[in-house]
Amino acid sequence: MFVSSGDLTAAAVRKGVRIMAISKTEIEKLAKLAKLSFTDEELERFTAEFDEIIAFADTVNQSIEGGTEQIRSVDARMVSFDDLRPDEVVPSLPNDKILSNVEGYNGFFKVERSKK
Amino acid sequence: MNYEIVCGIETHIELATKTKIFCGCTTEFGGEPNTHCCPVCTGQPGSLPILNQKVVEYAIKAGLALNCKINTKSHMDRKNYVYPDLPKAYQISQYDEPLCEKGYIELDSGKRIGITRIHIEEDAGKLIHESGLTYIDYNRSGVPLIEIVSEPDISSAEEAKEYAEKLQLIMRYIGISDCKMQEGSMRCDVNLSLRKPGDPRFGVRTEIKNINSLSFIQKAVMAEAERQADILDAGGTVVQQTMRYDEGTNSVTPMRDKENSDDYRYFPDPDILRFCVDDKKVEEIRESLPELPFDKLKRYMNVLGLSEATAKQIFRYRMVAEFFEDTLAEGASVKNTANLIVVTIFSNMDTEEEKELFAIRISAAQFAALVKLADEKKINIGVAQSTLQKMLESGKPVEEFIKPEDLVGISDEALESLCKEAIDANPEAAANVRNGKDKAINVMFGYIMKKTGGKADIRKAEVLLRKLIRQ
Ligand SMILES: [Zn+2]
Repeated sequence: MFVSSGDLTAAAVRKGVRIMAISKTEIEKLAKLAKLSFTDEELERFTAEFDEIIAFADTVNQSIEGGTEQIRSVDARMVSFDDLRPDEVVPSLPNDKILSNVEGYNGFFKVERSKK
Repeated sequence: MNYEIVCGIETHIELATKTKIFCGCTTEFGGEPNTHCCPVCTGQPGSLPILNQKVVEYAIKAGLALNCKINTKSHMDRKNYVYPDLPKAYQISQYDEPLCEKGYIELDSGKRIGITRIHIEEDAGKLIHESGLTYIDYNRSGVPLIEIVSEPDISSAEEAKEYAEKLQLIMRYIGISDCKMQEGSMRCDVNLSLRKPGDPRFGVRTEIKNINSLSFIQKAVMAEAERQADILDAGGTVVQQTMRYDEGTNSVTPMRDKENSDDYRYFPDPDILRFCVDDKKVEEIRESLPELPFDKLKRYMNVLGLSEATAKQIFRYRMVAEFFEDTLAEGASVKNTANLIVVTIFSNMDTEEEKELFAIRISAAQFAALVKLADEKKINIGVAQSTLQKMLESGKPVEEFIKPEDLVGISDEALESLCKEAIDANPEAAANVRNGKDKAINVMFGYIMKKTGGKADIRKAEVLLRKLIRQ
């Protein structure tokens, strides 16, 4: 339900209706949003794979009366205000630990130029 | 052609909590890059965000101060977009269950600007673009924000500025943020469209992002309204896009297109439990709110009797209002306290920031000691002003500058008992005055002036003497 957005889908999910197959256009759009580029061949493959994943999610969805929306309303786990985290500072990680898996520069993370 | 402005404002305010919204890292400003960070606020896989209680409390405070309804059940959502300032590729925010809804801010005209919603969310990191590379500091990543969304009820540049100004003042009063626009702890996005007067339909709107001063809000609204009017007058159509206000040229220009990035694919964050705040807690938070700025202003005018101009100068800075009230609590008079603050103390503070900070070297008690001398007419107002200036410069109490022998007058009580003494000491002269020999009063004057070394207020003494003699 997360990959194909839109009111129509959400409504379908609520009703527990089988979602229509995902299209190549939708995969292209998601790739674009994720700033990824794929070859045509890869797009075809991902479309098929995504479709399978969604079909599986759909099976789960249909097995629950009222759809996945029902899960949330049934889900009684709710934390009360008093049990939220107190506002007390704990030590942060040292800079070299934070940067241990990346290429850093003077304490910064360093990536290729990205500009909105 | 005349158009009507339809404008709404989204305001981001950084909350003054000690720790970030989902981890215990400090929110302290500055620090070496990536030293206020942990696995949670750098989005490491497997880390678990835990909501900060203070963030919820502060957001509810904001909601109550802005007349909102508080949703006792609320949850966090993921807002998905890919950009390096967000290490997780999503921002944890609130979508369909914000903490507060349906409030308002009342303008001076009595018009109410609706508040659609207030939600909590995390701030992003800071990017530095340099020579083909981007350097990232996540110290600000995860700092708590509230976003306050107004209804499109604003219909002029002046109203836009007034709305933001009032919002800033209220937030400062309730102590949830310092709301410094220049430093980014308060930032405004302005949505604006035009329509023909009376037309119920909205025109195409644009959004001006990240305005960082109150006067720029006013200027940006004027500039954008003019730009859109020119387009419409020429028969064109306004393009829906994100704009930037440039203060140098006082113009509004489109930002580079974020191409279709409005699809944020919100969904509930499965890592964070839904949370609830019961009515009792909400009432507790309501009780903890201080007197709000516009209630204070009304009280200063209607109860304390300050002029509107003076009341406005004092109430608009929280620290000044506190100092003023602390001084009154020490027994100083309203009028002299207010005037000495506005005339003398403010003359030492050139900027709004200085007044906001109100860092002065004397305490309210020390200030009150001086004001009371003026209240009792022991010193005149000119001496009070110059003495106050010396106190402010040195941080020393009033006794350092005014010795008992410097006092120009004596207190009303002291003068009255002195007058009684003078009558008792000169019963014959008093009888003469009583019988119409007016000049005999000079005998009593002589007595009083001798006793006070010439410092008594002789006109006041005369009034008192005549009253006492008649009795
Ligand atoms: Zn952290």
